[in-house]
Amino acid sequence: MTALEQHPRHRLDDLLQNPVRFSIVAALDRAGTLGFGEVRDAVEITDSALSKQVSSLESAGYLSVGKSFVGKMPRTSLTLTRLGRSAWAAHLAALREIAGEPNR
Amino acid sequence: MDTTPTMTATEAQRLLDKADRLSRSAHNATRWPYIAFILALGVATSMGTFAMALTAGDAFGLAYVGTLAVVFALLIFFMASIQGRSAFSRSRRWTGYIVSWFIAYAAALAVAIWAHGSVLLAGIASGLVLVVAMICAAREARS
Repeated sequence: MTALEQHPRHRLDDLLQNPVRFSIVAALDRAGTLGFGEVRDAVEITDSALSKQVSSLESAGYLSVGKSFVGKMPRTSLTLTRLGRSAWAAHLAALREIAGEPNR
Repeated sequence: MDTTPTMTATEAQRLLDKADRLSRSAHNATRWPYIAFILALGVATSMGTFAMALTAGDAFGLAYVGTLAVVFALLIFFMASIQGRSAFSRSRRWTGYIVSWFIAYAAALAVAIWAHGSVLLAGIASGLVLVVAMICAAREARS
């Protein structure tokens, strides 16, 4: 197999192969921006596990984390960045190719 | 040597289905108040500005106060229903929707003030408010 005919699995994003990170980005795909609690409920994980994975996605530039206050309560929002969106699109395209689906 | 783990077509399909399911459920669970609000705001302000542009005296007062009351009630509904899911209200996309609605609303108000009584202009401007709000709601519902 030549480099030009590389198997699509080589195009899968390393960071998004983790199931929790995959689910976080999937939850943000349509919504764009969600609160920390909204993502936690959608992905069904603990606050600390989500926090850890959000940090790695944020350092990779896939997510931006916003902080605000409602009264004295801190509110954290998660937004998929342009880089994160294109990495997600490429990851899904590779998955579709592996699954034998035509790319959209 | 190739160390990339292999993935079968079934596994890839399962991940694609999971991504679609998660993405839809997260969006549906959090967006309905926003879609309902922008749609209702568009309908209320469109009808209100149309009525204001074509009426005078007591009827104008009723249209004015009625529109304000409906908008105020919608704001209370919106603030109450987005509690715990307010992150989107601070996003660029939502700001874009509200700015688009406001520009159309300001144009309809301008018609009500400076072209009072013009059915054609009032129809166009108030229709624009409704169309803009419907486009925003449809865009968010389909995203």
